[in-house]
Amino acid sequence: MNPKHVVSKSLGEEYYYLKHPSGLGIYIHPKKDYSSNYAILGTNFGSINNKFRLKNEKSFTEVPDGIAHYLEHKIFETPEGDAFSLFAKTGASANAYTSFEKTAFLFSCTDNFEKSLNILLDFVSSPYFTPENVEKERGIICQEIKMYEDSPDWKVFINLLGAMYKSHPINKDIAGSVESISKITPELLYKCYDSFYNLHNMTLCMVGNMDPDKIFTIVNKKLNYSMPVEVERYFPDEPHDVVKNYVSQNFDIKSSMFNLGFKENILPFHRATNEELVYTDIMLSYFSSPSSEMYNKLLNEGLINTATFSGEYLEGPGYASVIFSGESKDPEKTSEIIRDYMRKIHENGLDREAFERAKKAVYGRSLSVFNNVKNIANLTLEFDFSGKELFEYMYILQDATLEKVNNRLKKELDPNYSSLSVVKPYEK
Amino acid sequence: MENIKRFDLGNGINFTCIPNSKFKTIQLSICMFYPLEKETASQNAIIPNLLTHSCKKFPSLISLSKKMEELYGASVSAGTEKIGDMQMIEISAQSIDNKFVPDGSDNTFEITKLLCDMIFDPSTENERFKDENIELEKRQLKEEILAEMNDKKIFARKRCIEIMCKNEKFGINTLGETHDVDKIDAVSSFKAWRNLLSRSHIEIILVGSGAYAKIADEFKSKFKDINRTDVFEYYSEIIPAREVPAEITEQKNIVQCKLVLGFKIKNKYEKIDYPAMKVMNALLGGTPQSKLFVNVREKLSLCYYCSSRYLKQKKVMLIESGVEEKNIRKAKKQILEQIKDIKLGNFSDVDLENTKLFITQGLGKIGDSLSSIGSWYLAQSIEKNIISPEEHAEEINAVTREDVIRSANQIELDTVYTLSGKGE
Repeated sequence: MNPKHVVSKSLGEEYYYLKHPSGLGIYIHPKKDYSSNYAILGTNFGSINNKFRLKNEKSFTEVPDGIAHYLEHKIFETPEGDAFSLFAKTGASANAYTSFEKTAFLFSCTDNFEKSLNILLDFVSSPYFTPENVEKERGIICQEIKMYEDSPDWKVFINLLGAMYKSHPINKDIAGSVESISKITPELLYKCYDSFYNLHNMTLCMVGNMDPDKIFTIVNKKLNYSMPVEVERYFPDEPHDVVKNYVSQNFDIKSSMFNLGFKENILPFHRATNEELVYTDIMLSYFSSPSSEMYNKLLNEGLINTATFSGEYLEGPGYASVIFSGESKDPEKTSEIIRDYMRKIHENGLDREAFERAKKAVYGRSLSVFNNVKNIANLTLEFDFSGKELFEYMYILQDATLEKVNNRLKKELDPNYSSLSVVKPYEK
Repeated sequence: MENIKRFDLGNGINFTCIPNSKFKTIQLSICMFYPLEKETASQNAIIPNLLTHSCKKFPSLISLSKKMEELYGASVSAGTEKIGDMQMIEISAQSIDNKFVPDGSDNTFEITKLLCDMIFDPSTENERFKDENIELEKRQLKEEILAEMNDKKIFARKRCIEIMCKNEKFGINTLGETHDVDKIDAVSSFKAWRNLLSRSHIEIILVGSGAYAKIADEFKSKFKDINRTDVFEYYSEIIPAREVPAEITEQKNIVQCKLVLGFKIKNKYEKIDYPAMKVMNALLGGTPQSKLFVNVREKLSLCYYCSSRYLKQKKVMLIESGVEEKNIRKAKKQILEQIKDIKLGNFSDVDLENTKLFITQGLGKIGDSLSSIGSWYLAQSIEKNIISPEEHAEEINAVTREDVIRSANQIELDTVYTLSGKGE
C-alpha cells in the first residue's frame, strides 16, 4: 500500500495519493511552513443526483429536490449531539457545503488535527436520522431557502439555469424548495446515504503542516474494507437548444443585474478535461479583462461597471456553460453587444498578442491558488471528482497555443445557444 | 512573525513589512485614513477608483490592464472602508513572487513602481483630472451606492448602524450618497487627491518576499514632493448606549425578515478589556457552538443564521438574524435571554475553554494568508500597539470567567432594527 508521490518542481508543491482498500481516495498535500491544517471529505453526490439505482435494483428511485443538501445538514447529527459540539473540544472550525455535483464536510485547525480527523471520519460514517431530528431541521432549511429567495444575485443565476436547461436537474435550486423539502423523510435520507455515502464514492483531501506517513497510519487504522456500492445515476437527454432566450424577475433593488449564459453541447456524463479547462480559462481571462475591446465598448457605453462584470465557466456532469454577469442599466443591450462580439470572434479568433497576455494572467492567478490550504484542498477534491490531475493544469497552460484556444472557441460561446437572465427593480 | 520591519517614512507615514517567502504572491497595500465626514465621503471614495483605472504613464484602462497582464496577472484593487470614525481609502496590489517569474525579472519592484505611478502620477492636466474619467467613475460610484441594497442582510446591518450612530461619524455611509456624487468634478477631485496625500494618516504594508528596503525607499522618494501638513491622526469616538433602546421597523418587498440588534457600552469612561469582550462575543454568537447558534437556531429552529460581531474600534456589538415575520418577537426575546445568561454567569467552564480554543486556533491561521496578515498588522498599526496574533492568543487564554461576565455587563441594547416584508 504505497501512496503515489506527485511533485511539481516548478510550483514547489507536492502531494501523496492513495486509493485505500476501503475504497476511499486519500490526498495528503504537505505545506511545511504553514501552521494551519485543512481536511475535506467529499462524496460524489450533489443536487443533480435526484434519480438513481443501485446495481441490483430494477427501477430508478426519484428523490425530492434538495435532498442532498438536507442530508448534508442531517449528517451533522450524532446520537451524542451535533458534530459541532464534538469539534468544540478540539477547537477546529467545521463546516459543510452542497453543490450541484458534490457534498463536502470539512474542518480547519492549527492543533489537534488527528483528533478532529477522527471526528470527521466518524460522524460522516454514522448517520443518525429520526423523525424528530429530521423535522427539527425543516424549519432551519426553510429559512435558508427563504434567505436565498431574497438574494437577487443568486436568483439571477438559478433563473438562468432554468432558462438554459430543459431536462438536466442543474435547472433546479441546490436547496430545493419549501414544497419539495416537505416530502423528505428519514427513509429517503437513508436511501440516499446508503447509495452515495460509501467510501468508494468518496475522497478525503488533507492539506497543511502534516507528516504523510503518520496520517496514512491513522487513516489506515480507522478505515475498514467495504464492499463497493455501484450506483447508476440517471440524467435525461438534454438538447443543445435552450428553453428560452430570456427570463426576468423583479426585486426590491435599485439596479438591474444580468447573467448571460452560453450553453455548450456535451455528452451526458462528460466532465471538462484539463485542456478544455485551460483553454476556456484563457478565453475568459481575455473577455472579462478591461484590456479587451468588448469590455471597453460596454464600459464606455455605460452598460457595465468594473466592480461587477465577470465571466465564469460552470461545468459538471452533463452541463457546461460560459456565463457573463454583472450589473447593468440595460441588460438587454449589454447582452446584444456581447452576442455580436461573440459572432465576430468566432470568425476571426483571438489575436496573438491578447492571447499571450491572457496566458500570462491565467498563470499568475492559478499560481496564487497554492497560497492557501483551503483552496488547494477544495481544488484537489474538485479535480479528483472530475478525473483530472491537479498539476497537469499548469503544464497544459505552459504549452497552450493560440491555435488550440481558437479551436476550443469553436465549441463554445455560440450566441445561437444562449439565454439572458435579468433581475430588475419593481416598476414605480 | 517576529521579524516584522517598520519604517517611519516621515510625518504620519508608516511602512510595515512582514517578510515571508512561503507564498506564491506578494501583497502591497497603501491605506490612507481621513476623518469620515458627510461632505467629503463621496469625494474621497472616488479617488482610489480614479487612481487605479489609469495614470500618466498608462493613460487608459486598456493600456493599464495590458501592463498588469504582462506582469503575470497582477491585480490592483481599490476600496473604501470605515474603520472607527475614519474613512480608509485602500489601494492594494497582488502580484506573483519573483521566484515564479519565468524570465527572472523583478516583478515585485515593477508592481511597486506601477502602484506609485497610479498614486503619485495620475492622468491629470492643469490641476484637474480628465473629464471623461471623472464621468466614468461618478457613474460607477453611484452604481456601487445603489447596489448596497442588493444584499438585504448587509443592507439591514448598514441601516442599524446608521440609526444607532445617527449623530456620529460612524453613522455616515463611507461611499456617501448619490446626490453627493453629483457634486464631484475634475477640479474638486484633483484637490481631494492632493489633500489625501498631504493630510491623511498613511499605512503602507508589504506581505511576502521582496527587497523591502528598496520598496520603502521608492515610497519615501515619492512622498518627498508632497507637502505633509496638518496630518490627521487616527481617531474614534466612543458613545454610550441610549437610555431607552430605539425600535425601528422598515419595510421592503422581501420574503424573510432581518433582525439586527445593536449594542453599545454603558459607560464611556469604563475600561473595556478587548480580549475579554472578544471571548464574550464568541461565546454568545461567534461560533457554531455559541449560545445563539445552539439555542436560537438549533433548539428552536427559528432561523438559519443568528450570530454576533464586536466592532473593536467603536466598542459596538451587532447581533444579526434572518427570521419569519411571525417569529420576530420570539427570536428577539431568545437573543436577549442568551445575553442575560452570560451576564449571570450561566455558562460552563468547558464552553468557555472551548471558545478560547476556537479563537486562538483562528489566530494561529492568520499567518497562512497574505490578506489576513495584512489586515492584522493594519489594525495593529493604527492603534499604535503592535502585537502578533500569537501574543494576542496569550491574552485570550488569560481571560477568566469573571472577565467575560464583566464584559457582558458592560454592554447594553441601543437599537432594535427590523427589516420586514410588505405582506403582499
